Amino acid sequence: MADGKSILVDVSRCTGCRGCQVACKQWNGLPGTRTKQTGTYQNPPDFSHQTFKVVRFADGKDKDGKPYWHFFSDMCRHCMNPPCLAGAQGDEMIHDEATGAVVYTEGTSKSDFEMSLSVCPYDIPRQDPDTKVMYKCTMCFDRITSGLPPACVLSCPTGAMVFGERDAMLAEARRRVDILKKTWPKAQALNADDVRVIFIVTDDPLKYHKYAAGV
Amino acid sequence: MTNHWIDIQHSDCILIQGSNAAENHPISFKWVMRAKEKGAKLIHVDPRFTRTSAKADFYAPLRSGTDIAFLGGMIKYIIDNNKIFHDYVVNYTNAPFLVDAKFGFKDGLFTGYDPDKRGYDKSTWTYQKDANSVILRDETLKNPRCVYQLLKAHYARYDLKKVSSITGTPEKDLKTVYEMYSSTGTKDRAGTVMYALGQTHHTVGVQNIRTLAMIQLLLGNIGVCGGGVNALRGEPNVQGSTDHALLYHYLPGYLSAPRASQQTLESYIKKITPATTEARSVNWQSNYGKYAVSLLKSWYGDAAGKDNEFGYAWVPKAEDGKDYSVMTLFDVMYAGKIKGMTVFGQNPACSIPNSNKVRAAFAKLDWMVHLNIFDNETASFWKGPGMDPAKVKTEVFLLPASASVEKAGSQTNSGRWIQWRYEATKAPGDCIYAGEAVIRIQNKLKELYRKEGGAFPEPILNMTSDGLSDKGGYDAEKVARLINGYFLADVEIGGKQYRKGDCVPSFALLQADGTTSSGNWICAGSFSQDGKNLMQRRGKADPTGLGLYPEWSFAWPVNRRVLYNRASCDPTGKPYNPKRAVLEWKDGKWVGDVPDGAPPPLAAEGGKLPFIMQPNGVGSLFGPGLGDGPFPEHYEPLEGPLAKNLMSPQQNNPAILLYKSDKDMVANADARFPIVMTTYSSTEHWCTGAFTRWQSWLTEAMPQAYVEMSEELAREKGITNGDKVRVESARGKLECVAMVTPRFRPFLVNGKTLHQVGMPYNYGWRFPEDNGDSANLLTPTVGDANAMTPEYKAFMVNVVKV
Amino acid sequence: MRRRQFLKMSCVLGAGVALCGLGVDLVPIEAWAEEIKKIDRLKSARQTTSVCCYCSVGCGLICATDEKTGKIINIEGDPEHPVSEGSLCAKGAGMFQTTEANEHRLTKVLYRAPNSDRWEEKSWDWAIDRIARLMKEERDKSFITRNAAGQVVNRLETLAHMGSSNLDNEECWSITAWARSLGLVYIDHQARV
Repeated sequence: MADGKSILVDVSRCTGCRGCQVACKQWNGLPGTRTKQTGTYQNPPDFSHQTFKVVRFADGKDKDGKPYWHFFSDMCRHCMNPPCLAGAQGDEMIHDEATGAVVYTEGTSKSDFEMSLSVCPYDIPRQDPDTKVMYKCTMCFDRITSGLPPACVLSCPTGAMVFGERDAMLAEARRRVDILKKTWPKAQALNADDVRVIFIVTDDPLKYHKYAAGV
Repeated sequence: MTNHWIDIQHSDCILIQGSNAAENHPISFKWVMRAKEKGAKLIHVDPRFTRTSAKADFYAPLRSGTDIAFLGGMIKYIIDNNKIFHDYVVNYTNAPFLVDAKFGFKDGLFTGYDPDKRGYDKSTWTYQKDANSVILRDETLKNPRCVYQLLKAHYARYDLKKVSSITGTPEKDLKTVYEMYSSTGTKDRAGTVMYALGQTHHTVGVQNIRTLAMIQLLLGNIGVCGGGVNALRGEPNVQGSTDHALLYHYLPGYLSAPRASQQTLESYIKKITPATTEARSVNWQSNYGKYAVSLLKSWYGDAAGKDNEFGYAWVPKAEDGKDYSVMTLFDVMYAGKIKGMTVFGQNPACSIPNSNKVRAAFAKLDWMVHLNIFDNETASFWKGPGMDPAKVKTEVFLLPASASVEKAGSQTNSGRWIQWRYEATKAPGDCIYAGEAVIRIQNKLKELYRKEGGAFPEPILNMTSDGLSDKGGYDAEKVARLINGYFLADVEIGGKQYRKGDCVPSFALLQADGTTSSGNWICAGSFSQDGKNLMQRRGKADPTGLGLYPEWSFAWPVNRRVLYNRASCDPTGKPYNPKRAVLEWKDGKWVGDVPDGAPPPLAAEGGKLPFIMQPNGVGSLFGPGLGDGPFPEHYEPLEGPLAKNLMSPQQNNPAILLYKSDKDMVANADARFPIVMTTYSSTEHWCTGAFTRWQSWLTEAMPQAYVEMSEELAREKGITNGDKVRVESARGKLECVAMVTPRFRPFLVNGKTLHQVGMPYNYGWRFPEDNGDSANLLTPTVGDANAMTPEYKAFMVNVVKV
Repeated sequence: MRRRQFLKMSCVLGAGVALCGLGVDLVPIEAWAEEIKKIDRLKSARQTTSVCCYCSVGCGLICATDEKTGKIINIEGDPEHPVSEGSLCAKGAGMFQTTEANEHRLTKVLYRAPNSDRWEEKSWDWAIDRIARLMKEERDKSFITRNAAGQVVNRLETLAHMGSSNLDNEECWSITAWARSLGLVYIDHQARV
């Protein structure tokens, strides 16, 4: 197979508008869940079987006392060698040859969810407590195999998310990091060789999210 | 916007002040980020660090309500450091005009103030003139009475130290912003200003924006690609609803609404058509008589003729000098003097200041008709907090409306693009277009007045039905044609034939003799002469390469994409910046965008000045048109933290209207309410949340009301993040969740630490159940001296842990 | 697993997910959505361009309407739109929840009688008759022909109108004309606030 597809998430361009978070719900027909205001813009607080995309908000103070606010449009990384497949009992988890997308089917109700979650460096898989079916981002598998971009990527106003052939996305990641390094020396693409959803950050990854760079 | 969304990408420096564009106009950031990637610098000036600040190259905090101090300091910096775009200022602004010798400014007041009237006699706010009434000028800008020198003297008081002590912005931050932004006062650089409700929601709202406009004039940034003064309007069609005058003080197309003293059409037209003695001024407003008559013809059709002043008597005349705007409306309603009210697509129970007063006022109505797509706090006010339905006499009608995707019609974006959209599906149940609901009521009233007679039936019976469908219902396309206007007779204009029934392809062709109609002159040209709807266009041609997209939809006026674009060229018609030439005078004609006035550039034979909507043809650094002064001056908000204005003995804007009802308490510099508060919207909700609180994807993201505060204030108050707190002002109180964040920081104002908190106005008691209530329970009933836009952005509260 | 096999299984992506909640609080499942996957229905749907109903950027939308049922099944950004280029913020991306898929939409004329504690459903004809009658009564009673100075003013100060910048131009223009024909001077809307 060719190198398949990739999504590049350049957080330096992200404004935290959450178009992606809602576009994901819209396309996938996922319900809005009941949440509470707990003192943060981030909501829902985390992934669930009904939430595949969460924009994480992290604020703090820099050394000079000035505030910063980081946005991290979190999602499944669609690993090149997906560890979560270890939880599969048969062929209920798909690692698509053409695109590289990692997709769970209804058969995951029989999978070892705990196994899949524990081996995922990015804390992605979730399980429906009633049906035991596992859920996460599908890279909009139905859309990308029909010539449409993933819903989240289409919605992104600033080019913080781009979708395309993996080669092109890797090249673009290198180009962006070179540019960003001039302003932000810590700029880096996270685990670009290992994942299809490549995040570029401009600060210490832990300042965005515990699992930003994986564990 | 003088410019348009795509144009932002061409800017070299973007000043966002009084706007949180990344959150409230998120897609504008497509173009902001594109500009940044081409090297532009982004500055954000705001009381709080937002998603906009997070993307800025430089963020400067300021205390709510002190923009004029901040920007006045920038004017001083620009003048002191000679950063002005000299050629532009001399040729295209009133900087050289000599001002009347008696005009002056002392102790915070301009000449002519009458404290009893709370207003000015503006007779000295004029220019010196020669024997032929032509304004005297000094193009060296050295005469001490010229506008430029008066401007310099006025803002000499706005030094860094003084400004910093008022705004709470550190001096070095002020200097950084001033340096960065004033770098655009050159031919090859353009700076743009993006502002929104953060500027308008003040007792000095109009003067805030004037200050921005003056800076743009000084730097030569108006009319140019990547420049302009760009209002980011807050609603999908607020540009259009304003154009069409859902406002007491205008008729469609910004024609002033008639007042009682204008008893005849002639006297009305005289009032709305300013004269000029400047021979080089186009003075486009001199055409307003044609537009007024064409409007009357579109309203009253054949019933409007020369013999009856085209039905001018049928138009209501407001009392001279009296305000009828929203806060006065509710003040009068609270006093029991308004009996019935129609509210379409608006939620005043949460959106108008001092909600307790508004909600109490509703209960004094005999009846209310509300139309919307969801229920809200206005329609259901009678069962809201503190209401006993058994004691509320008001009869309420709640009419179900079609949602936007269920409707065909046009809406106008901030860049003045009138875009057509189509009906994607039939609306559910008994939902109908708002337009159809209006027509049904109107038709029924016509029927009743025809049958029964009644008070002054003429305006009702003569109101046009040309916009109606064959079945007598609402027809968006037919109304759109009526708005555009028709030729009502075969005429020849400029050697060209137009036939009766043709659409008027430009307002330049409208007539004052009743041979044309136009429901709104600024929209004339939205149809071609042969009746093609240009608002539907989806052409992507880009002949200038600047993203003007002249074949996409239709932009008013006459498809012009950048207003005042002739000011982007020097007096010979050469673009100041040939790399981004929005217009150029070439071989005896203008090439590029639709020029703002066809006449040649200033230096050519018959050349005209570029600011065609100004009687004198130039941009106004001295602005005698406003009610509260020709130069913006810093005044404290009506309810602020300081007992004394640090700039002058005049505490508040001297021309604001004060309300006296028992619900209008004000607590200035009051120890009970020591914290400055501001209100705003988030990305995930819209206005009062009247639509968005019914949508689970959005309430999931922003479920409940919150108040943002600094870690320092939280420590002082014993509050931790996520605590339930009570926020209280002199007028009301509410409970919500504390969001303690390093994005809020205390200010150092007049040498003392001052806290500011902020709260979104996106919530209301109706739905979801536990979301909270409106931040407008706290806000004061006071507004801008010119526009009566309420002060939502600066007032005083206290916050305590519950 | 190969893709062909996967597509045959078509579960998590297709009807299963599409059904688990089109809107608010698990909207009752609509019959038309039961059988076919969303992507397939999208391919055969009628596409209509529209404009977002929130801020004033005026972003382009594409509404997909199921030809069979006449219902909107998807709303996303219009990639051809020169300003928005397909993108939408959280509110715009959620436009689908303004459609009838949202169970909270008003669909009936509701009426609350004086001092009543509840809404009653009414017909349009009933409501229009009643509203027009109330307006006429108040107008006939309180119309002001001349002011205190004796000037002809032909206005009505006891009725007020508000809204809306959330309506179309043609609707706004119709309201302006209608309100003036009644003699209203208390006219305002979101432009000032």
